[in-house]
Amino acid sequence: MLSYILKRLAIAIPTLLLLIVISFLLMHSAPGGPFTSERELPPQVLANLNAKYGLDDPLWKQITTYVWGIVTEFDFGPSFVYKDRSVNEIIAQGFPITLTYGLLSFAVAVIVGVSLGVAAAVRHNSALDYAAVGVSIGAQVLPNFVMAPILVLVFTLWLGWLPGGGWQGPEYWIMPVIALSTSFMASIARITRSSMLEVLTSNHIRTARAKGLPERRVILRHALKPAMLPVISYLGPAFVAMITGSVVVDIYFSTGGIGKAFVDSALNRDYAVMMGVTILVGALTIFFNLVVDILYGWIDPKIRY
Amino acid sequence: MVMTSEQRVGATEIAAKGRSPWADARRRFFRNKAALMGLVILGFVVAFALFGNSLAQWSNEELDYNVMGQIVELGGPSIESGHYFGTDDLGRDLYARTVQGTQISLAVGLVGALIACVVGTLYGAVAGYFGGRTDSIMMRLVDIFMAVPYMFVLILLLVMYGRSITILFAGVGLISWMEMARIVRGQTLTIKGREFVEAARATGVSAPVIILRHIVPNLLGVIAVYATLLVPLMILTESFISFLGLGVQEPLTSLGALISEGAGTIAYGTTWQLGFPLLFFCLTLFGLFFIGDGLRDALDPKDR
Repeated sequence: MLSYILKRLAIAIPTLLLLIVISFLLMHSAPGGPFTSERELPPQVLANLNAKYGLDDPLWKQITTYVWGIVTEFDFGPSFVYKDRSVNEIIAQGFPITLTYGLLSFAVAVIVGVSLGVAAAVRHNSALDYAAVGVSIGAQVLPNFVMAPILVLVFTLWLGWLPGGGWQGPEYWIMPVIALSTSFMASIARITRSSMLEVLTSNHIRTARAKGLPERRVILRHALKPAMLPVISYLGPAFVAMITGSVVVDIYFSTGGIGKAFVDSALNRDYAVMMGVTILVGALTIFFNLVVDILYGWIDPKIRY
Repeated sequence: MVMTSEQRVGATEIAAKGRSPWADARRRFFRNKAALMGLVILGFVVAFALFGNSLAQWSNEELDYNVMGQIVELGGPSIESGHYFGTDDLGRDLYARTVQGTQISLAVGLVGALIACVVGTLYGAVAGYFGGRTDSIMMRLVDIFMAVPYMFVLILLLVMYGRSITILFAGVGLISWMEMARIVRGQTLTIKGREFVEAARATGVSAPVIILRHIVPNLLGVIAVYATLLVPLMILTESFISFLGLGVQEPLTSLGALISEGAGTIAYGTTWQLGFPLLFFCLTLFGLFFIGDGLRDALDPKDR
């Protein structure tokens, strides 16, 4: 097990470094520097700015300084647009918010999705099963940017139950969480249902039933664990897609998470912030994939380390 | 197309059974009601995108000065004014805009999926065919690529190189070839051990020709299935970026951009601006998903 974890780490760390270097090179190769604007700057001012931000150093030195700053001090450098703010401050402001509704959405998607999938599989071909299949097919075409306006239309404009945007208390969390989790909930339900149906026909379940275990115990103790394997391998991509979806939530519900910082910096051409967010999201993804891999290795005894 | 030796062997076996695997697949596909429904829905959407403009009474750029400033009262959907789907907040005909948006979205889906397919198939086939160290390096690279948050990188690229539609089209394809490469590599590994590949190699056929003439044609079934499932994903990606205002730029539009406009104006009571683009977006995805699932059931050798 330990060597398995180490092997995974040996892939994760170079991946992260590569991601940092690639995004740095991308930024470096972009046409127009960060100080290009409609108003032409005097050459001396430009030179001073470049010196201040270290942009006159040779490329390799810029890269190593940048990578070193991130690795040792978790420092993403200064923002190119807001003179008095660092990338860290901008990210630190939005990150707790993204984390709050992100984790909530993830939990909702997994818990509701798995329960729905298991219920549908256990009552195969019942009304409940058809309803669950119907819901999960319907929700497939309802990604976050479709759900968000529909929710606002129904719950804010028509019914007036929920605030349409902002981030002040739990009632502001509801719509972002629903918008973000619906399509993943549906996918998880579909995957759980089909893998549960397959597991329920296997020999060890027949044995468990034959020795007279109550059905509840058969499902929860014997069927659920092996049925979770495909769900777990779906969690990695789902996590990435959810982080990506948080950008839409931040913009549409004005929740103020890092997605807002990302789109603002995209519109301002504030490359430093864009890179910071991209690298942070990449690091989270890599970390999460590592966790999923370890979880997978732990649940599935057949996996080769 | 030149018949590969494997297909020839297949043909004689099937003569005994009396049906080809493709005919078999076709029969299975057409017996699948959901897939047929998908085909009908998609047919409707494609017809709308191709011929919808001939029914339009306004072009997608004209401003209707009669409704300007009173969109909420006068801009709603009606047959008399010729705005079947109403107008947008500038007084442009939403019907014509939806036709245009559907065209662009379908085009992004097709081009993106095509790019992803070509790149993924070639990459996977090369890695699988050469095997050994080449294979492990290439697939390790794919592992690394898959951990990159692509939407962010694509947006980074779009911002840096001026949000051009070419980059958008190529970009959505280039971020999605990895899954394809993995699948194709797996299939290639099983095919390359077969006799007809061995025979080709023994007669001195070069590696690129073996890959293109003998391996890729045998992968067409798998490629077709995943290509169909890729199209809706491409449309989703493009719509996502356009929803944020970073994708397709005016005067062009896509379903995502229209949904974004509609979502921004629902507070004023112009629900139709959200409703119609959303309807076509959902119909397109529905149709494609159903067809993709149907094709998978019909063609995927695993499920037989």
